[in-house]
Amino acid sequence: MPVIEVEHLHKRYGDKVAVDDVSFSVEQGEIFGVLGRNGAGKTTTVECVQGLRRADGGTVRVLGLDPIRDRTEVRQRVGAQLQESQLPDKLRVREALDLYRSFYRNRADIDELLADLGLAEQRNTAFHKLSGGQKQRLSVALALVGRPEIAILDELTTGLDPKGRRDTWDLVERIRDRGVTVVLVTHFMAEAERLCDRLALIDAGRVVAIDTPAGLMSRVDAEHRVHFRPLDHLDDALLSALPEVSSVRRDGDEVTVTGPEEVLQAVLSALTERKIRYAGLRVEQPTLDDAFVSLTGHPATPPALDGRSS
Amino acid sequence: MNALSKLVAVEAKLFLREPVSLFFVFALPLGLMLVFGLPQRGATQEATPGQHGEQTFLPSIALSLTIGMLALFTLPMALGIYRERKVLRRLATTPVSPALLLIAQVVVNLAMGVAGAVVTAVGVRFLLDQPAPANLPGFVLAFLLGVACLFAIGLLIAALAPSARSAQSIGPTLFFPLLFLAGAWLPRDQMPTVLARIGEYSPLGATVDTLSAAWAGQSPSVSQLLVLAGTAVLGCLLATRLFRWE
Repeated sequence: MPVIEVEHLHKRYGDKVAVDDVSFSVEQGEIFGVLGRNGAGKTTTVECVQGLRRADGGTVRVLGLDPIRDRTEVRQRVGAQLQESQLPDKLRVREALDLYRSFYRNRADIDELLADLGLAEQRNTAFHKLSGGQKQRLSVALALVGRPEIAILDELTTGLDPKGRRDTWDLVERIRDRGVTVVLVTHFMAEAERLCDRLALIDAGRVVAIDTPAGLMSRVDAEHRVHFRPLDHLDDALLSALPEVSSVRRDGDEVTVTGPEEVLQAVLSALTERKIRYAGLRVEQPTLDDAFVSLTGHPATPPALDGRSS
Repeated sequence: MNALSKLVAVEAKLFLREPVSLFFVFALPLGLMLVFGLPQRGATQEATPGQHGEQTFLPSIALSLTIGMLALFTLPMALGIYRERKVLRRLATTPVSPALLLIAQVVVNLAMGVAGAVVTAVGVRFLLDQPAPANLPGFVLAFLLGVACLFAIGLLIAALAPSARSAQSIGPTLFFPLLFLAGAWLPRDQMPTVLARIGEYSPLGATVDTLSAAWAGQSPSVSQLLVLAGTAVLGCLLATRLFRWE
């Protein structure tokens, strides 16, 4: 049973179209990703789902309700963590939770929530003294303090270091394990790949594909890449002659061979047969990034902007 | 109601954690009165003729200063920060309206203004050995209308300022001319007539005059009270119409 249904959502600001035509549905209990580059229309889409913005076209149903008309009821049952939202500097962790808790009908146990999110020791710490990861976890805690059926998490790990990012991923999985449906908005491929049961790929205000991460990757015949350093003399022609190999490249003493999934087997057999020894063998499988490029025609994130969001 | 009282309690706590605002409300008016008022402690005669010679001028301007700083500095600053940090937006995702946070802010600043007024009145009575406000109903009315007028201007600043930083600079830019018009430096009786007349009906000038008159036991001027009330209504209407939530 879908808990969120979006059909032909359209939203413009002035004459700038933010969301052109977006449709998807989210099933109960899944982690659903909304994936796309900065400015693709992800945040506007979820803002319409939350009832923070009125759609210019199409329909949005959340738990069978209209997020604009039944806004109070929707807000009782949907928790949201907003991109870059902060709290007053001197507000303490427990005070913030206690305050937000008073807004809801169903109230989570604060101590339990603090323990779950690894904030028990920071309960009396002021907001401005928290680390980036702790602020982010507090923000998630505020989204969960009303025992929501759906949690919408927007750019959850932006600005976190790799450790903070992985901790947060574990957290999202634990939220789902509590039975909460999670909508995860991200421009970060690895995050979507790791967490999402299904995801909608959004580009320029339109849905490009909806699938599981594995399903998306299998749609593109991206190449596998095999890297190694030959320790004996190796004639590149030996490899490029193999039917499974589509290209051979050298970078210093490292050789990179590309081809379909079978390329690894083919390269290893050829090397073994000629008794050529090698070191530093690495294999790169196609990633969601490759799928993104192939489905939209451009990279998910301009390299200079990685890890940031506008 | 539960959510509003929680918000008020939290905002009050946050206010009390800011030493700067506490200084504005309590230390500054008392300090001013002590510095300028102690030399005339217990005096019953007017020392010099004119606005600055009135015994009730000093406590009235000290009190107006407190209200003015709360209304023009701390209130627009706090609201600007809440908008900038997306606290208002965050509240919009909960069942509670972000307007409640604005109301809570006004309530807390108002309560602090009242606390400041009480401290000032008590200070005048016991430290300077001067009488407490003689016309208490008139004093309360003047205080309420002065507060309403200045807070409305503060809310308008919060509505119009594009950022917390600009709210922080608009407040003082407006406050010091208003203080001048109220006669804080140059007594209004020494100003050119036109300027003195403008000062009389300026927000701080009208507040100081009506407070001062009521303190001395006279009835505050009706036209000045009406101007305060009118400015309050106009400011509030504009502020609610122009307020941006994000």
